[in-house]
Amino acid sequence: MSETKSNANRIASAAALFLLSTAALLAQDTPGRKAPSVTLSSAPPTTVIRGKATNVELQFHVGSGFHINSNKPAAEYLIPTTLKLDVPTDIVVGKITYPAGEEMSFAFAPDEKINVYSGEFDLSVQVRPLATMLPGKYEIRGRLRYQACDKAACFPPKQLPVEFEVKVIKAPLPPKKNPAQSPHAHT
Amino acid sequence: MKRDPFVIVAVAIVVAVMLVFALKLARRSAHVSGTALTQNGDAPDFTLQSVEGKTIRLSDFRGKPVVLNFWATWCGPCKIEMPWFVDFQKQYGPSGVQFLGVAMDDASTKDIAEFANSMKVNYPILIGKESVGDAYGGVQFLPETFYIDRNGKIIDKAFGLKGRGEIEDDIKKIVASAAVANR
Repeated sequence: MSETKSNANRIASAAALFLLSTAALLAQDTPGRKAPSVTLSSAPPTTVIRGKATNVELQFHVGSGFHINSNKPAAEYLIPTTLKLDVPTDIVVGKITYPAGEEMSFAFAPDEKINVYSGEFDLSVQVRPLATMLPGKYEIRGRLRYQACDKAACFPPKQLPVEFEVKVIKAPLPPKKNPAQSPHAHT
Repeated sequence: MKRDPFVIVAVAIVVAVMLVFALKLARRSAHVSGTALTQNGDAPDFTLQSVEGKTIRLSDFRGKPVVLNFWATWCGPCKIEMPWFVDFQKQYGPSGVQFLGVAMDDASTKDIAEFANSMKVNYPILIGKESVGDAYGGVQFLPETFYIDRNGKIIDKAFGLKGRGEIEDDIKKIVASAAVANR
């Protein structure tokens, strides 16, 4: 008897789960599509020596099911992913290195290849604090411009605010040389 | 504590119904606030400039089946279906079908015209406005295509890229529905 009840409970729970999942699917926002998301992973401040160029690695994440054009998307009309930074006056931003994208094509046009980022991708930003800069933590802000698509549709270009910190330190002192022995050391 | 299976199912049904009802209510209020797609299925009328500088109203095409395509120069899937639209305009133009492309991007009119020329587009390309996008439900992604019959009713809509065969089926639908309306 108790086994029958337990089975009934299990069936009822499964039915309830099915009903709720179906309702949740029906309640999605746009017809069959969620909005794309691109995020910057948080990372501890990168230590940079003043007067010296250092690469800061920024890791981005593209939401599952989406891709964004790479920095070189293989067609002139596509919007490339670009990072623009506003830096404190005493920090010089050098080269921004974008990773190579992966080639993909849409299902209905397998011959037309585009170059994209999906999942995780890293950008490398070269920064060089001036030699006169005061040591300390500095925030660098900017915007990542991207344009995302899924397998069949594209979303308008967006700008992701980007913020990261660098810790500027003094150059370590050169190792001390042993002073030459004075001829008068032994008197 | 013993749980009655009927109570579990009953609670799930109530919650599911509430979820779906809340969704419908939210969508309805969104439509009202954005003067979105009309409830009687009429395609919202609009007036836009073509890339050639002509003023074009959707209602100018009343009496013709219209394929209204929202696209952008940066949209890869839109570029894939454009040559199909060019072919279909040639094929179904004699049946009265009229394609209209509404460009929803920030590119200049010159760039949009150049892009359309490079795709050999043989139908009017209009410079889109956000208000027109809102009237058609927001156009949150591209391409979006609306199939409008000879009476100005939206018969079908396609969100995202569809196969060439599916597109042709929708065109046949608006041609057929127009024939019914003309009887």
